[in-house]
Amino acid sequence: MRKKQKAEAVVKTPLLDRLIPPREITLPNGHSVKKPVSRAPFIAVLTIAVIWISAVVTGFDFRIIIERGHQLGYILGRIFQPNWSYFGGDAAGTKKLMDALFDTIKMSIMGSVIGATLALPISVMASNNINRSTGVVWFLRILLMIIRTLPTLIIAKFAALIFGLGTFAGTVAIVVFTFGIVAKMMYESIETIDMGAFEATESFGANKFQAFWSACMPQILPTYLSYCLYSLEMNIRAAAILGYVGAGGLGILINEFIGWRDYESLGAVLLALFVVVLIIENTSQYLRKKLS
Amino acid sequence: MIEFKHVDKVYPNGVKGLKDVNLTIDQGEFVAIIGLSGAGKSTLIRTINRMIDVTGGQLIVDGTDVMTLKGKAMRRYRRKIGMIFQSYNLVTRSTAIKNVLTSMVPDMNFFRVLLGLFTKEQKMHALEALDKVGILDKAYTRCDQLSGGQQQRVSLARTLNQNPTIILADEPVAALDPVTAKQVMSDFRRINEEMNITVLINIHHVDLALNYCTRVIGIRAGEVVYDGPTTSVTQEILDEIYNGAAIPTAEK
Amino acid sequence: MAKTKSLLNADHPLTIEEAYESRPRLWWLYTLILLIVAALLGWSGTSITYKGLATKGMTIAQGIGYGLVHPDTNLLFNLTSEGVPYQLLQTVAIAVLGTLIGGVLAIPFSFLACDRIVPKPVAVIFRAVILGIRTIPSLVWALVWIRVTGPNAFCGVVTESVCSIGMICKMYITAIEDIDTKILESLDAAGCNGLQKVRYGILPQIIPNFISTVIYRFDINVKDATTLGIVGAGGIGAALIQCMNSSRWSMVGAYLTGMIVLMILIELFSTKVRAKLARG
Repeated sequence: MRKKQKAEAVVKTPLLDRLIPPREITLPNGHSVKKPVSRAPFIAVLTIAVIWISAVVTGFDFRIIIERGHQLGYILGRIFQPNWSYFGGDAAGTKKLMDALFDTIKMSIMGSVIGATLALPISVMASNNINRSTGVVWFLRILLMIIRTLPTLIIAKFAALIFGLGTFAGTVAIVVFTFGIVAKMMYESIETIDMGAFEATESFGANKFQAFWSACMPQILPTYLSYCLYSLEMNIRAAAILGYVGAGGLGILINEFIGWRDYESLGAVLLALFVVVLIIENTSQYLRKKLS
Repeated sequence: MIEFKHVDKVYPNGVKGLKDVNLTIDQGEFVAIIGLSGAGKSTLIRTINRMIDVTGGQLIVDGTDVMTLKGKAMRRYRRKIGMIFQSYNLVTRSTAIKNVLTSMVPDMNFFRVLLGLFTKEQKMHALEALDKVGILDKAYTRCDQLSGGQQQRVSLARTLNQNPTIILADEPVAALDPVTAKQVMSDFRRINEEMNITVLINIHHVDLALNYCTRVIGIRAGEVVYDGPTTSVTQEILDEIYNGAAIPTAEK
Repeated sequence: MAKTKSLLNADHPLTIEEAYESRPRLWWLYTLILLIVAALLGWSGTSITYKGLATKGMTIAQGIGYGLVHPDTNLLFNLTSEGVPYQLLQTVAIAVLGTLIGGVLAIPFSFLACDRIVPKPVAVIFRAVILGIRTIPSLVWALVWIRVTGPNAFCGVVTESVCSIGMICKMYITAIEDIDTKILESLDAAGCNGLQKVRYGILPQIIPNFISTVIYRFDINVKDATTLGIVGAGGIGAALIQCMNSSRWSMVGAYLTGMIVLMILIELFSTKVRAKLARG
């Protein structure tokens, strides 16, 4: 066994060590040790090249920041003096803000629940310790990978084109996003569970579903709920901007206010979002701590 | 009654697990299966409840040809065979009673399984099973807080809870300290005597096997090399089982 | 609960009825949780209604399907600035610079927000600043930065830099808090001064973590960079959204195919490098 490992190690000499042989250092007492060539210079050259290309392609120019940076300060300054009339002072404005805010929350709750529910059976089917059919496992994994590469905003844009503008399109986008991420996290943790209890339950005559549900579910349920809450946290942020492509929620207001350069009102929207995110994140983190 | 008739097992990679095994085990026997690791002890035990499929010969349990069973019929057949594992195979996050209750799951309908709804009767039955192995007071304790011996008893209770006629135990005491191992072995003996359940144990502690079991089956390289009552096991027989390689050289 | 009971009755054995009566009763808790979830769902459903497909919904769905199966190969391999390769290059470039700048900016922030290093009030203030940065969605940052830099890829770079700070800081802080201080003791014993302790005691512990964090964030930033184009901050998103608005589905298909391939490659790269860093 050991010998075999050694043989593999010889075969797997890194390319670099074969190109430039390791330097041999001999101690005064005659013992010697081989010092492989340091990778650092190569990584450094590569990094600098990548940065240089990136700077050229993006037209990186720091002078713009120095010349026009005050503009950002001006906008941020106005954002940080939010228009308080949206919080009770102006009835119509308050209703507009609160409606959009609640729409955002509703989209993320609904989307998280549906997405996470759909993700559970799929993640079980995509775990190679439960599903023995390799073809199905890989098909699902590639599908999930593709779903995860699609940005939420692009999905929302598609949904808005197909289902029309509004919260339904936003919910669809959140469902797809949650589904992709929760299913991936779940199959990864399902694969680490102890299969002993599953084997035992099968040994006394349970079918695959019964064995999975009674032996594996207690093990993965806390993780699953914790992922659901985590995805809810992310979804609130994500849902807030979906309105930009017409999928309902705060994004519509954000788009409007930036268009009108009404940064004080934008500040009010962001403040409302901030409070909600804070509440949901803290509640969720408290619950997740309880679960583990 | 368990009957092996010329049973062979060849694994897909060509390894021969069992070679022409012929055995008859009557109801109520307490059998120890001994042999070196890799000799085929686990394979032999696991063919009985079809955790492993045999590739040749016939295996008949209580008049049923086991290899003909499929799907639902096979699962129903497994209901009367309990199995105990070396690593207990419990849901460690759940309480002892929940683990015992899982052995009822195969008989429940979809929604009861889904929601984990057990009747009071089932719960009482499970508590009785825990009482039989002497850990009733741990019923509502999570298994990861129990000692190894207690966990093995929970798994024994889980098996009793399905009212089996046969119990297969795969190295049940290998992970336990000597004192606990003896306690678990006496549990097995009591169950065997009081309830007339056939017990088949894979074990590598020869002295435990000789002290508790009534019959010994010695396996070497997939073949049964000894089958007889515990009382007639001699040192020569043990040598043959365990140092199989030495015997042929002596014959030369 | 069962435990206390068994202790109380230590002299006479527990009967099955007693054990059954001592079972933990949690059904009301489960019911409560279920009711809360149901109530939240019911409330959420109130303003999400399916109003059927948009007037051209079916045509559009078919168009998207067609486009994905028949991407515009001309666009896919076109090497001009309109083509998919250049657009992807620009997207990645935005993410590279954004992540690097964010990763560097996050270092002082995270040290100042770590209450193991600075006094608690200072840490709290910096944590609040980081939280503030994180709350403003990246799209809003981009829209604000556009007023400074104009609608170009450079805007994407500064946006990504700022947006990365929040999450990177959070992970840096965890890495800093996980530092094993026993090594510092042994360095102390060997007679090292403060700077030497940082160089040989702290940096070797945190640098792999920091690099791993930056690479992880790079993965996210590439995805973000694809959407920033929607507001005009460079990258492939701008071209994609234009094609979507004008229903040129095979062009949409080409851009999407490019994006998916790129994202998968980057995810594989990032997972591999981070696994290597974790192994050391």
